[in-house]
Amino acid sequence: MSQQQHTSDHGGQGSNVAKRAEQRWAFVAVLMLILFVGLAAGAGIHYMVMPQARVETTDPRTVAITGEFVESNLGSVAEPDGSVTVRALGQRYSFTPSCIVVPAQTPVRLRATSADVIHGILIEGTNVNTMLIPGYVSSITMQFRESGEHLMPCQEFCSVGHEGMWGKVRVIDKAAFTAAAAKAKRVTCAEQ
Amino acid sequence: MNDEHISSEPTASQELVWRLSSIGITGLLVILTAAVGLILLPLLQRDVTYSSLWDAICSAAGVRQLSADEPAIAPAFKTSQAVLTSDMFRNPGAQSIGRGATLGQRCAICHGPSGVSRADSPNLAGQYAAVIYKELLDFRSGARVNSVMSPFAEGLSDQDIADLAAYYAYLPRLPGFHPPTQTSIPRIVINGAPMRGIASCGSCHGGLDNKLGSPWLEQQPEPYIQSQLQAFASRERHNDIGQQMRNIARQMTPEEMADAARYYASQPFSSSTQ
Amino acid sequence: MLNNRQLILGHFWLAFALFTVALVLGAWQMWVRSPLLPWVSDPELYYRAVTAHGTVMAYVLPTLVAMGFGYAISQAALQQSLIGVRWAWLGLILVAVGSVMAVIPVALGRASVLYTFYPPLVGSAFYYIGVVLAVVGSWIWVALLSVNLYAWKREHPGAPVPFAMFAIVAGAYLWAWTSVGAALELLFQIIPAAVGLTSTIDAGLSRVYFSWTLHAIVYFWLIPTYIAFYTIFPRAIGGKLYSDTMGRIAFILFLVVAMPIGIHHTFADPQIGAGFKFIHSAFTALVSLPTLLTVFTICASAEIAGRLHGGRGPFGWIAALPWGNPIMLATALSFVMLGFGGAGGLINMSYQLNTSIHNTQWITGHFHLIFGGAIVIMYFAIAYDLWPHLTGRALPREGLMRLQLWLWTVGMIITTFPWHYVGILGMPRRMAYYDYSNPLLAAQAPWVDISTVGALIILISGLLFIFILVEGHRGSAIDVSKYQFSTAVHPPVALPGALNGLGLWVALMIGLTVTNYGFPIVELLARTGVAVPAVYVGSQP
Repeated sequence: MSQQQHTSDHGGQGSNVAKRAEQRWAFVAVLMLILFVGLAAGAGIHYMVMPQARVETTDPRTVAITGEFVESNLGSVAEPDGSVTVRALGQRYSFTPSCIVVPAQTPVRLRATSADVIHGILIEGTNVNTMLIPGYVSSITMQFRESGEHLMPCQEFCSVGHEGMWGKVRVIDKAAFTAAAAKAKRVTCAEQ
Repeated sequence: MNDEHISSEPTASQELVWRLSSIGITGLLVILTAAVGLILLPLLQRDVTYSSLWDAICSAAGVRQLSADEPAIAPAFKTSQAVLTSDMFRNPGAQSIGRGATLGQRCAICHGPSGVSRADSPNLAGQYAAVIYKELLDFRSGARVNSVMSPFAEGLSDQDIADLAAYYAYLPRLPGFHPPTQTSIPRIVINGAPMRGIASCGSCHGGLDNKLGSPWLEQQPEPYIQSQLQAFASRERHNDIGQQMRNIARQMTPEEMADAARYYASQPFSSSTQ
Repeated sequence: MLNNRQLILGHFWLAFALFTVALVLGAWQMWVRSPLLPWVSDPELYYRAVTAHGTVMAYVLPTLVAMGFGYAISQAALQQSLIGVRWAWLGLILVAVGSVMAVIPVALGRASVLYTFYPPLVGSAFYYIGVVLAVVGSWIWVALLSVNLYAWKREHPGAPVPFAMFAIVAGAYLWAWTSVGAALELLFQIIPAAVGLTSTIDAGLSRVYFSWTLHAIVYFWLIPTYIAFYTIFPRAIGGKLYSDTMGRIAFILFLVVAMPIGIHHTFADPQIGAGFKFIHSAFTALVSLPTLLTVFTICASAEIAGRLHGGRGPFGWIAALPWGNPIMLATALSFVMLGFGGAGGLINMSYQLNTSIHNTQWITGHFHLIFGGAIVIMYFAIAYDLWPHLTGRALPREGLMRLQLWLWTVGMIITTFPWHYVGILGMPRRMAYYDYSNPLLAAQAPWVDISTVGALIILISGLLFIFILVEGHRGSAIDVSKYQFSTAVHPPVALPGALNGLGLWVALMIGLTVTNYGFPIVELLARTGVAVPAVYVGSQP
């Protein structure tokens, strides 16, 4: 094998060929990486799927008894600009509201936090997926294309009752939501 | 990274090239990714407005911000304001327990001289201190309303409540009585109902783990458990922080409530000999 | 034969014994949460098993394998006797004591917090102290490898450091630095709460500390595997290593870039700025570079061997490779699993794609495929390669080893591929049971069944592995030649300092940690009033 005869040949034909093949591959590999990162950044910008823009904190001791996440303030509310804000609280072992209702084809912002330990929110059938860390407010924006019902499990281990922590998201059409929002300041489907 | 000619003795300049290029490339990558992540991408965010470029950079860097002070809708009724942490109840001390015992004499009429009730009022013996503490606070504040308990709680000071909690927690707890001969454990108790958002009762109520503030349920009177579940379901009782029990009770069927109450109320001897 | 055989065997046997227990637990977990069994009546048992399985597989098994392999490399590559043997034994004892101390409270149900700890959940202090002891034992190993290398360099000034030693010391330094994150979390946040000195924890900060460790630890796990690719595989198949230089560059890249990318594990966390999430995402892309380089180099090395065996044509050399050799098979199977697992990793690396599968069973499928599959199968290969040199006896016939490796791979693929799929369907992680009767979840049930079958195959393979190693102690005595590593086609004669020493690269690793983690950590430390009450599970202080 000609490669072996040239082991001591500094700058021999074989080692040059080998080096060039390696360099070509390294170049291709770096190009691939730039492509991946570019795709991710581009997709993020185009589809506006980006991590939440701000870090917000709450007082974990009182988050459930006073302030933005008190029980009467949870649920969906229509904002003046036509969007909807949903506030939710995760605790061991349920979400409040246990059934969240949102209108289809409307920008929705979900604001949520945890009252005790780390939980997660995952809306099945969508890419809505965030952690709930006690002391911090999670905020993500979403838009549902069609009506329907989705399961919303807690996706992070929150101790021994974690397997029972499943909520629901009900997407209804805009008119039905507007009617519901006219009747109650905070809309949920928890009673149904 | 260049594949240097490795067969000849490396010169000082080759060493320098390695150092400079590796530090240089690393530094360049840091600056580039920081510029994209901390400046470019935040400015391209469509659904948030920044007050300035500096605000955009700080937000992207993760500087904490306080949320806008929007008015929150207050509850139409009083809700629990109890703040519970485990270190509050850890070592009450003999004096607190003694004071609690004295205060507890008033409670004996309904709750029994040793904390075990002869009526349908709940047994307090061995109940978690956090539970006694919270319920008394809630009775006092009006978050929980009961024609018998509310007057009793009115006159209690914070120290009184802490002492009573220490005393009852100090008494021996009634254990669960579930011999193998008993009918099988109801599914709602042992596994909950995940699709309805119900974890197993023991996850909070002590069989598996105790969530601070969740009462020990074993050998509580069956009518009491039943009535409280119904009260949560009808929203008549609303001192469960964050609606955690209302979420559960609303989704339970009347049969499940009866099964759970019967399971926990199970005693070694029948109630007629009480 | 190698020296200090008892020491090295001690590391491997402790690792593989605990591995077997954890494997049985893992199979039980798969079975009990599948549609095949009614719901477990005590979900706490499930979480207990998950904690034990994760703790052993993540913290004990790979650490001990790296340590044992590292001592073997130090002797065989440097051809000098191991300096600090007593310290090495102390290190092993610390790991053993720490593991036992950690596992006992878990077994008693006093620390069902999962191996990722998840404060503010706090379990028995002994669990965490046990983990700390085990890590300290491994730090002794790091120091010893450093000392041995330094002594060799003094004896051979200017000479190229043998490649295997260069690589394992890089891995050791990477481990030493990355373990600092979890150490900070344990020593300053969790253990004080567990013993009752404090009663609150900043959960956001603890996740950032843990993410410091969480990614680079998988590269610490991976480094023995890659060392086997570069230094065992070419020799075992009768070939040569295509490029010594590219190999060194790959390990250097791991050392520098594996560390400062951990925030991709916290993409969905609200306490970290979006800018740093992007920075870590970009650097994560960079860490796939050394793997891409390795794939090229090892395939090229295989081609050399194939042609030396008489293979012709653009693909004829593949058939000419010694497929009967277990090391050949293990490497090829590892590459297959590495390909799929690596592709999954590229998906996880971008925030956008991650949102679909974060904390679903996709994640579990991903790391079982890449770690349990691609990496651990080479741990088996390393054990098979070293065993005769440690026992002086022959291993059972190669057919048995090949069967074990095939079962492992097939089992891992059957387990993990459906796992990825149900993750895409949205199945959340770490639940003791699921209601498959719900129409929205019914589609997941058959795939979970298939995964469970895979788990059984993996269990059989693991037990077969132990059987082979035990038989390796009872085989006929043989004359083993000196333990050799592969030689490169162009063995280095003189190397620039950058490729022969690690100082520059350790400095860059630390520098990148400062740029990528510095501000997030300082910002979180500076916040007051965000600490959460500790939630004690199973054990009060």
